[in-house]
Amino acid sequence: MADSKFVFLENNTEELEVARPSLTYWQDAWRRLKKHKLAMIGVVVIILVLLFGLVGPMLTPYSYSDQSNDYRNLPPIIEVFEVEEGINLHLSKDYNMFVVANNGELTEKLSLNRAKRDVINKIYYYDLKNGEEIKLDFSYNLLKDKQGYDYDFTIEYKGIEYKYPTGNKFNRSFPFGTDDLGRDILTRVMYGARISLLIAFVATLVNLFIGVIYGSISGYEGGRLDEVMMRIVDIINSVPLTLYVILLMVWFRKSDGLTNIIIALSTVYWVSIARLVRGQMLSIKEQEFVLAAQIIGVPKRKIIARHLIPNAMGPIIVSMAMMIPGAIFTEAFLSFIGLGVSAPQASWGTLANNALPGLVTYPYQLFFPAMAIAITILAFNFLGDGLRDALDPRLRKG
Amino acid sequence: MGSYYLRRIISAVMTIVLIATLTFAMMHSIPGGPFVREKAVPDEILKALNEKYNLDAPLYIQYLDYMKGLITFDLGPSYSKIGTSVNDLLEAGFPTSAKIGGMASLLIILIGIPLGIISALKQNKPIDYIVMFMATLGVTVPSFVVATLIIYFFGGKLGWIPTFGLDTWRGYIGPVIALSGYSLSFVSRLTRSSMLEVLRQDYIRTARANGLSEFKVIAKHAVKNALIPVVTYIGPMVAAIMTGSFVIEKIFAVPGMGRYFIESIGNRDYTTIMGMTVFYAIFYIIMILLVDVAYSLIDPRIKLGKE
Repeated sequence: MADSKFVFLENNTEELEVARPSLTYWQDAWRRLKKHKLAMIGVVVIILVLLFGLVGPMLTPYSYSDQSNDYRNLPPIIEVFEVEEGINLHLSKDYNMFVVANNGELTEKLSLNRAKRDVINKIYYYDLKNGEEIKLDFSYNLLKDKQGYDYDFTIEYKGIEYKYPTGNKFNRSFPFGTDDLGRDILTRVMYGARISLLIAFVATLVNLFIGVIYGSISGYEGGRLDEVMMRIVDIINSVPLTLYVILLMVWFRKSDGLTNIIIALSTVYWVSIARLVRGQMLSIKEQEFVLAAQIIGVPKRKIIARHLIPNAMGPIIVSMAMMIPGAIFTEAFLSFIGLGVSAPQASWGTLANNALPGLVTYPYQLFFPAMAIAITILAFNFLGDGLRDALDPRLRKG
Repeated sequence: MGSYYLRRIISAVMTIVLIATLTFAMMHSIPGGPFVREKAVPDEILKALNEKYNLDAPLYIQYLDYMKGLITFDLGPSYSKIGTSVNDLLEAGFPTSAKIGGMASLLIILIGIPLGIISALKQNKPIDYIVMFMATLGVTVPSFVVATLIIYFFGGKLGWIPTFGLDTWRGYIGPVIALSGYSLSFVSRLTRSSMLEVLRQDYIRTARANGLSEFKVIAKHAVKNALIPVVTYIGPMVAAIMTGSFVIEKIFAVPGMGRYFIESIGNRDYTTIMGMTVFYAIFYIIMILLVDVAYSLIDPRIKLGKE
């Protein structure tokens, strides 16, 4: 071509656009994620739950396995009988009498005066520190159809009979109450957060690791190998996965429940990630930069690790955020049917399971772990939705 | 078309054989064997037991026997329930599970899909927000919590339904609702997003431009296409629900398959665990096959066999 065909353009400053700072893929995604209100709420809640689990147990005076026979089954909100200024009495559902301070702290469990108790007529006596005596009459429960009485027991102090609680107080000693072995539920829910989240995170990471490697090899290699590998995935996928987790749990029953549950969850749920990554690989490997890398002789492993996987990271992260709540669910479910972590360790699932026998009388024992599960799953779902919109605009819905 | 089904059936059978083999291998590699109890069993009794259940034969013979049994659908005796076969347990448990599961599936299809369609049509209106709020709640609260809450409020406090068992029709209400809660929410969310996607398509605009009534546009063109991803989900879901949710059956004390399965896990009743797994897998695979057939009925674009 003749040189005359090329003409130098003059430097025309007027046509220069006002350039915006260029954003990388991740900066752009972060910017979009920040705009997603629900996702940010999700992030904040997740951080709070993490703090709750990690820092929380250090702040409570109890450990997750501390048992106390005296303080069994105490609710978070206690009904008290204020018999005198500063003296509040609480009768637990197990018929233990407590003295409650005005701020809601349980100061003392009153001891039963065994010599004076009247088992047949259901009348107990308790001695207070100030020398006064409390008479508890709980014979009303025994009456047939209760004969119209709408209370279960009466308390008599200094000759005055109390039939109805005079007020409610928040339990300051055990804010979430205690369970059937007198363990502090707040501490156990905090500790359960550790276990449940640990299981969920580790299992998800392992699944991610296996799935990404499996899927990228299968997708990059293609051909025969791809066919065989995907056949295997199909077979695993045609089995209800929960069932296999259960079988695995039965299989290595012997040792520690925590490790087992992590292994069981990590060996099964990678198939969906493998499929996703393979699909991504199939399209990315056709692009020019991969061809360029192949031509200059970059080894296969490096192409996959340096060029392919980073470009497929968006959808991978989205599915990871969606997998974590799934893992929490499965773990809770396994613990609930008795295949979870072994006592005295507790995950949210085991806590819920333990609460089941006493549900009608002590519903708060189920309420707190169940709330913890629901809030965490909701937060991860919000975050997952936000990540999907931010990282993978093609999948955006609604 | 015929050869496609043949291929699908062959691969399904192979999958089942593989699953049975894997389950067999797993159950037989557990150290200790099925008769190891905390209290040591005398050697003679152990020997007699092993002889009775043919456990002293070489492993490959046991495997062949088990496979032979599978062909005639004989899943062998239960190790811990003396005198009962796994088939007996299945016969006892499956009808109950299937009845509850069938009702739950119907509820999901009859309520979940319409709810999803309505909230898609009324996008960003109050009814949409209400439905989606409920649906989000439904997928975040675990089913065992829903079940216990139902028992607590409707069983205990209000006394409308029995807290356990299926003696009256009221007994079904709790398990069916608890069982369908999650999937119902999921289906309505899925239907909604799929409907919204379809409503944006050109052929919907064309249909409207051609002057079709709104009802016809929605019912004939939109809903039919929007249901494709929903069908994909519903197939395996029905299988999972029909074979009994372990947790729901445990909470409501329903004598279904799930309960036997949990019991057999606790008792280390290996033949029952194996039998139920295989049964479940077969059921699941059949459901997935049915989904494929349903596809070709809904969407004529999908020609089976030409992938």
